[in-house]
Amino acid sequence: MTTLALQRAEPLGSASTAQAFRTAQGGLIERRRTLDFTFDGKRLTGCHGDTLASALLANGVRLVGRSFKYHRPRGILTAGSEEPNALVELRSGARREPNTRATMAELYEGLEAASQNRWPSLAVDALSVNALLAPVFAAGFYYKTFMWPASLWEKLYEPMIRRAAGLGRAADAPDPDIYDRAHAHCDVLVIGGGPAGLSAALAAGRSGARVILVDEDFVTGGRLLAERREIGGESGAAWAARAVAELQSLPEVRILSRTTLFGVYDHGSYGAVERVSDHVAVPAAHAPRQRLWRIVAKRAVLAAGALERPHVFGGNDRPGVMLAGAVRTYLNRYGVLPGRRVAVFTSSDDGWRTVADVLAAGGTVPAVIDTRASVPPQLRRMAEAAGARVVVGGYVAGTKGHLGLTAIQVVDGYDSTETIACDCLAMANGWNPVVHLDSHLSRRPVWNEAIHAFVPGPLPSGMRAVGAAAGLFSLSGCLESGARAGAEAATDCGFAASAEPAPATDPESEGHIPLWRVPRPKGKAFADFQNDVAATDVELAHREGFRAVELLKRYTTLGMATDQGKTSNLAGLSIMAELTGQSIPSVGTTVFRPPFTPVAIGAFAGHHRGKDFRATRYVPSHAWAEENGGVFVETGLWLRPAYFPKAGETDWLETVVREVETVRARVGVCDVTTLGKIDIQGRDALAFIERVCANPFATLPVGKARYAVLLREDGFVLDDGTIARLAETHYVMTASTANAAKVMQHLEFCRQWLWPELDVQLASVSEQWAQYAVAGPRARDTLRRVIDPGFDIGNEAFPFLACADVTVGGGIPARLFRISFSGELAYELAVPAAYGDAAWRALMQAGLPYGITAYGSEALSVMRIEKGHAAGAEINGQTTARDLGLGGMLAKKKDYVGRLMKERPALTDPDRPMLVGFRPVEPGARLRAGAHFLALGAAPSLEADEGVMTSVAYSPSLKSWIGIGLIRRGPERHGERVRAYDPVRDADVEVEICSPVFVDPKEEKLRV
Amino acid sequence: MRIRCPYCGERDNGEFSYLGDAAPQRPDGLEASAEAMHDYVYLRDNPAGTIRELWYHASGCRSWLVVTRDTRTHAIESVEPARDVARARRSGEAA
Amino acid sequence: MSEPATTPTPAFLWRPRGAWEGIAKIGGHGASADAPGIRLTLREGQGLATIVAADGREADLRAILAERFGLSVPEAGATAFDGERGLVWSAPGQWLAVSPTRQGFDALPAALQGVAAVTDQSDGRALVRVSGPKARTLLAKGVAIDLHPRAFGPGRAAVTSIAHIGVQFWQRDAGPTYDIAVARSFAGSFWGWLEHAAAEFGYEVA
Repeated sequence: MTTLALQRAEPLGSASTAQAFRTAQGGLIERRRTLDFTFDGKRLTGCHGDTLASALLANGVRLVGRSFKYHRPRGILTAGSEEPNALVELRSGARREPNTRATMAELYEGLEAASQNRWPSLAVDALSVNALLAPVFAAGFYYKTFMWPASLWEKLYEPMIRRAAGLGRAADAPDPDIYDRAHAHCDVLVIGGGPAGLSAALAAGRSGARVILVDEDFVTGGRLLAERREIGGESGAAWAARAVAELQSLPEVRILSRTTLFGVYDHGSYGAVERVSDHVAVPAAHAPRQRLWRIVAKRAVLAAGALERPHVFGGNDRPGVMLAGAVRTYLNRYGVLPGRRVAVFTSSDDGWRTVADVLAAGGTVPAVIDTRASVPPQLRRMAEAAGARVVVGGYVAGTKGHLGLTAIQVVDGYDSTETIACDCLAMANGWNPVVHLDSHLSRRPVWNEAIHAFVPGPLPSGMRAVGAAAGLFSLSGCLESGARAGAEAATDCGFAASAEPAPATDPESEGHIPLWRVPRPKGKAFADFQNDVAATDVELAHREGFRAVELLKRYTTLGMATDQGKTSNLAGLSIMAELTGQSIPSVGTTVFRPPFTPVAIGAFAGHHRGKDFRATRYVPSHAWAEENGGVFVETGLWLRPAYFPKAGETDWLETVVREVETVRARVGVCDVTTLGKIDIQGRDALAFIERVCANPFATLPVGKARYAVLLREDGFVLDDGTIARLAETHYVMTASTANAAKVMQHLEFCRQWLWPELDVQLASVSEQWAQYAVAGPRARDTLRRVIDPGFDIGNEAFPFLACADVTVGGGIPARLFRISFSGELAYELAVPAAYGDAAWRALMQAGLPYGITAYGSEALSVMRIEKGHAAGAEINGQTTARDLGLGGMLAKKKDYVGRLMKERPALTDPDRPMLVGFRPVEPGARLRAGAHFLALGAAPSLEADEGVMTSVAYSPSLKSWIGIGLIRRGPERHGERVRAYDPVRDADVEVEICSPVFVDPKEEKLRV
Repeated sequence: MRIRCPYCGERDNGEFSYLGDAAPQRPDGLEASAEAMHDYVYLRDNPAGTIRELWYHASGCRSWLVVTRDTRTHAIESVEPARDVARARRSGEAA
Repeated sequence: MSEPATTPTPAFLWRPRGAWEGIAKIGGHGASADAPGIRLTLREGQGLATIVAADGREADLRAILAERFGLSVPEAGATAFDGERGLVWSAPGQWLAVSPTRQGFDALPAALQGVAAVTDQSDGRALVRVSGPKARTLLAKGVAIDLHPRAFGPGRAAVTSIAHIGVQFWQRDAGPTYDIAVARSFAGSFWGWLEHAAAEFGYEVA
């Protein structure tokens, strides 16, 4: 009630019109360009150049949100990105964006904002009872309260906590906007657009160096926009505007405004996010909403400024209590009086600037409370002349007001308390340099006793800190240090740069003695506003032994909110220092991590969302497969046809069975382009292959291909494939789809690092060749109609494992390999990828008389399981060649990768699981890959586990489910029965161990 | 991190893949002992300080590189083509 | 055993399919369609080959390429072009030969026998030429390489990645004009990035 009265009472001049708290003149807003916006559905008006926060204050709105834990009424504390309280939801529908700082949201026509974390309304919040339960919600409360019983956690505690806590609501529809990513490079990166940053950019930019100035604001100038200061006889804001204009005229200087530098990374890498279209309702067509920058800079100048410190006193979170610097920002930049009666609570000379600024803007100052024992007399005279009650050596103990400040309780130097009416309290407790960015590389800030603040410690290589970010709070210090660092940075990069003498500034005094917390607060005194951590929580942490800063942080959640404790960290640390009797530097500080302020995940994702989440690789037959109803499956990045349903087929198994049966009886074609293909040439090509493959190749003649198995040096199988000898010193190797890149890297390692003396040339030809398996009894007949006349591919001229260059389509070069994965008479035909589509169509047409089918990766897999060929599920990094039944083919008389280590006792243990086949004892029973083998009657346990089923398929040839898998001493146990136990899918099937080769064990079909 | 590939220039570390310590030498040939091979495969120093390590410029020129890096600061002292290092070592062994 | 080989399938089926076919749409797209910031020229039918020098044979390789093909061999990170025909550095001892026709390098393998390994890549890559006033800005969205004229000018080449897709690109002129080569199977995804990144400038596909 009181609050509502205050929001609309005491109008200056005209009656309670819109923007009743707007000053008569001044500020950098455009008063004639008014903008309509809504807050919680209420229509309000602001001006172009406003933030949402300044527009709300101009309309007398002080209550903006509810706090995280206690749902306490909160207002606007700051005027910048450090804002802990004024978090709102912006926009609506799919663009609804929670937890936006009102102090950073640029006002635009039609902006919709809503308070959050309140129910049913901002003024009447049911959950504010949490505040009454505050003793229950003390530090460590989750750990203590919800420990027991554990079973209640998921069902009760967590949902309850999530409803009560949390802040805004994310949109529940896909984000319609575009997020962009870009890279930038420069000689000198300047972080911050205040007086120090502008000076640095000018000094560096004038030399011709490439400069990027990053500034989070939409008007560049930093505190120059917020203070009534003079530089060289003109206003700070005018000087800043001229500096910006000059920078914009320099061709190698780029100003990124509305851009937050959020992360500092190794070797001069930086992350920044540019809010390209956040200041408009809807981005222009095709324009990105935000752009994520990765910046690489040879040198950086950190001019990120400083953050003002709140005082810790009772009710310091009440709407109307603000930082003094923020009060001046609203007055001087936005032409807004944050209150009619602005009391000032200060521990520093610069707090007194607020007095003058409030008076100049037409407000009144009922009181100035300085915590220091004495203040400069001219400051005191100025305040008293304006009728302010001046209290020296006192403090503000508490505040009053229901939903906003109506009065403060002041304790003077003699411990007597008086209540002073005011609707705004400006607090000035000194400034903390922004040490976040320079500590991103784990460099700890160091304490500077002269300014009572942490300043940057050892800086990342190539970085200089200037101005307030370095603890130089005077304007002249900012200008001078900025110019010097800018010139030095450009000089480092080889440019002739010099710092011109800094222009003169108006006089300033910097006296400051901080008061970390008031002696006897009345009511809850907050250290951390966003996470609702009070001074008493720090005391509790101290009592319970969580005294180290890292423990204090985690126990109380001090500094762990989205603002990373920008306004709160030192408050908490200083209280702990006092409680433990240590100095602040001995208590120490936690370090900060990226991002400096929250960054939308959309900005990181950029274009990589939806179908572009990751790249997709398409096979050459993709267009045909799409035309013919192919069903696709993702295999790594590849999108492969899995099977090709025909009309009337109702499930995938029916289709796959038909495809397999057609291949086994007639002919089929499958796209195997996804295999890696590596061209190996050179004088020592054979010697190289001998060293990287575990089986012998010396005897492989030109025109023949051979199965190849590659080991890792630790003795396990790396991959398998085929190697074909195309010419005396020219081979082509295939690698499995999944391992193609890994195998290439391995071969390069062998060539460059292990055996640099070998003359070998490697080239990936994976993309050049489309490759198709043509399999089945009529494969040769089909191919004869595709390959140009004159090539004899009869069984005698072109036997199993032959390879040759052929031509197709009247002279198009192609390669033909007689290799088989299916166990049928089979070939792989490789054609240049541009002819891949044509070759596929030609094969389908050529095979028409024989009843050809296209088959996908499912049928391919069924047939390889029927043949007992190991694939990805078996070559899983934990199996040896011997485990897979390939031990017999390994070379005895050559050195190769993995030769010695595969002989380690554990890898040759006869008890190791080895590859065999499995079929269900009961016909028709379904097998599951992943089932574990147990002896019949054995209770399931880790000790009883004998191995695992790696691959299963329904075999159309056997009319039964079959499987292959690894079981102890498998090859010795053919005919034995075991359980295939799969508790995850509730399956327990009795199976018989058999040969892994289910179809054509004598390999008669291969060689016809 | 940024790594200066001797061929491609300075690139983001995302272009590279990491293998590890470049010190172990593969004991080649049929005479090599299992013990020596075991040491080559498994034994690594893990210094807090300067280490020579193998990186692969996977997204670039596919060169294996020997990067001398301080594990405490990520400061990179030098980047050499691994093949040149290996060849120099071989000719050193032959001499 | 079976019926004798019949006539091969009709030749009309053997039409090469361009790497950008079904992916790139000719015409103007994105913002400011009347004055596009980007021009994308699809370069189909180029002849491409990888040349990898044999150990110790680089001098011979240079001599043969100069005498018989009129090609000079560029240093690391560079290109050497005569019109649209030339070499692009790819890796130590390795180059990508580029020719306006697929037959451009038919004679290379025989001529370089024993001196270098030559592999045809004409179908392995999709090539697109990027030009227009925003070409540099566009490319800088994708590559983490400094493209400023002080750092990267005409005649420079790089192998890197864009949107996690491996690319090789080289600058043709100071316009700037860039040629980008991407593995054929990635052409669709790469084009997706290109459209996303170019939309705000407006782009024309030719």
